[in-house]
Amino acid sequence: MHMLTNLMAQQTIWRLPEESRILFATLIVLGAFVLILGLAPVLQTLPPRGRRAIIVTVTFLAGLFFAAEFFLPVDWTAIFPKDDPKRNFLTPAIQPAQNVLQIIGALALGLGTFGLVRLHLRNAVQRRAQWGYSIVLLVSFVVMATLSILNTLAEKEIVERGPVLKRAFSILFDYTLVQLDAAMFSLIAFYIFSAAYRAFRIRSIEASILMFTAMLVMIGVVPLGAFISYTLLGLPEAGAPEGANFLTQLEHSIGLPKIANWVLTQLNAPAQRAIEFGVGIGGLAMAIRLWLSLERGVT
Amino acid sequence: MQARTQTLWQRILGIDRRWLYLILFVNIVTFLVAPIRMPASVSPPVQKFHDEIEKLQPGDLVMISSNWSASTLAENQPQLEAVITHLMRKQARFTIISIEAQSRDISYRLAERVTKEKGYQYGEQWAHFGFVPNLIVAIKGMVTDLPGTIKQDVRGTEVSKLPVVQGVKSLSDYKMVIDVTPSGTVPIWISYSPKNVSILYCPTSVMAAEAYTYLDSGQIKGMITGAKGAQEYEQLLTVVGLGTRFMNAISFSHVLIIVFILLGNFAMFMNRLQQRREG
Repeated sequence: MHMLTNLMAQQTIWRLPEESRILFATLIVLGAFVLILGLAPVLQTLPPRGRRAIIVTVTFLAGLFFAAEFFLPVDWTAIFPKDDPKRNFLTPAIQPAQNVLQIIGALALGLGTFGLVRLHLRNAVQRRAQWGYSIVLLVSFVVMATLSILNTLAEKEIVERGPVLKRAFSILFDYTLVQLDAAMFSLIAFYIFSAAYRAFRIRSIEASILMFTAMLVMIGVVPLGAFISYTLLGLPEAGAPEGANFLTQLEHSIGLPKIANWVLTQLNAPAQRAIEFGVGIGGLAMAIRLWLSLERGVT
Repeated sequence: MQARTQTLWQRILGIDRRWLYLILFVNIVTFLVAPIRMPASVSPPVQKFHDEIEKLQPGDLVMISSNWSASTLAENQPQLEAVITHLMRKQARFTIISIEAQSRDISYRLAERVTKEKGYQYGEQWAHFGFVPNLIVAIKGMVTDLPGTIKQDVRGTEVSKLPVVQGVKSLSDYKMVIDVTPSGTVPIWISYSPKNVSILYCPTSVMAAEAYTYLDSGQIKGMITGAKGAQEYEQLLTVVGLGTRFMNAISFSHVLIIVFILLGNFAMFMNRLQQRREG
C-alpha cells in the first residue's frame, strides 16, 4: 500500500527505474491476463445489453484519454509540483498507451494469420473444392515464415546466416515473392489500356473536356512532352522575362509540361482540397460516432 | 441465316482485348531495351525537393519512412535510391522506418546495397529501425521518446546505443522526414510530426494528385512523383538510375494509350456516319 501511495505521489509508474518498471509492467500484464480470463465467462453470461454497456464504457474511456491528453492545458505544476510544465499530467502515460496499441495491432495481425491458417487447414482436411490451393498456401506460409524468422534472427546475429539460409531466403523473397507481387500490380497497366480504349469516348461536352485534359496531362508529364514542346516545336523552356508582352508570355507558357503543371496545380489542387475538406469533416463525424458508440456495429 | 459482316470500324471498336495487351507488352519491352534517352523537363515539385535536400548540412539527421512493397517497386525503388544517393552526397545521417512489413526487408536490403557502394557505415551514418505496425502510434511515440518507442534497430542493437542517433531524444531532433509510399500516409506525418521538421514526399504517380494541396500550403516542401519524378531527380543528380531506364517505356505507353483513345473515337465517329448513310 505504501508503495502504491509512493507511486501515486510520483504519479508515474512509467518513470520508475528500468528493473522496477519491468516488474510492474509484468505484474500489470499478468493481472490483465487473469482479469480477462476471469471476465470472459462472466461476460458470456451477461445479456447483450450488459455486454454493450461494457464495450461502450471501455471505448469511451479509451477515447477520452487521448482527447483529454491533447486538449488539456500543459502546465499542472500548481497541483503536481514535480511535473514538467511543458506537458500535462497525462502526457507521460501516452507512451505506454501507445505501446499497448502497438501490441493490439500486432495481435490483430496474429489473429488474421490464425484465421487464414484455420480456414485453409479445414479446406484441406475436409477436401473441399479446390483444396489443392489450400495445401499450396499452407506449405508456402510455413516455409516462408520459417525462413523469414530465421533470416530476422540472423540479422540480429542470434543464429548464424549460413549459405543455405541466405540462398533459400533470397530465392523465396527476392526471386519469388517480390517478382510475383510486382507482376500482379503491373497487370493494372494492361487493364487501364483496355479500359481507356473502350471508355474514353466523346459522348458529351464534359467527356470531351475530360478526355482532352487527360491527354494533355498524360503527354505533358513525360519526357516526350518536353521533347515535342522544346525540341520539335522550339518553344522556350524558361519562364517569360518580366514585363514581356502578352504574346511572349503566351509563347513561354504553352509548352506541354507547363500546361500539365498548370492543370495539376490550378485545377486539380483546388478540387482535391474541397474533397479533402469534405472527407475531413466526414472523418470527424465518424470518429465521434465511433467514440460514442453510435455506430450500428457496436452491439 | 447468314451472319452480317462487320465493317472495318466495327471491328476496330470490338477489337479483342488480348490484342491490346500484346501491343502494350511489345511497346513496353521495346522501349525498355531501346537505347533512347530523352531529357525530362524538371517539374517544380521535384526541383523544390532537390533544393530542400541541398540545404542540409553534413551530419544533419533525416528520417525516411519507407512504406512500399514489391507491388509498387517500379515507382518507389527509383525514388528511394535517388534520395539515398543525394543524402549520402550531402553527408547527411539517415534512419529508415517501415510500416509495411514487406518494406522492412526491401528497404533495408536496398539501403544496404546503395550505402555499401559508397562506403556509408551502418550504425554510424545510417540505420534501419525496422517495422512498426501503426504509423500514428509510432510517430506520436517518436515525438515524445524516440529510443523508447523504437527500442531496437533491425540488427537488434538498442537505438540509444546507435552512434547515428546519439543524443537524439525525439523526432524534433531530425531535420526532415521523407515519406516514400504508395499509401496516403503523408497527412499522418503532417498531422503528428513536430512543426520544425520539414516533410518531403515520394508518392506513386496515382497518389500525387492528392498531394498538390499540401504543396501549395507548404506542408510538404517537395515531391518526387513516381518513376517520372525519379527520372527528373536522377537528371538533377546527373546519375542514370532506374527512373531514367523506366521512363522511356512509360513515355511511349502514354503515347500508345493516347493513340488508341483517338483511334477508338475516330472509329466510333466513322461507324455512326456509316450507319446514318445506310439509313
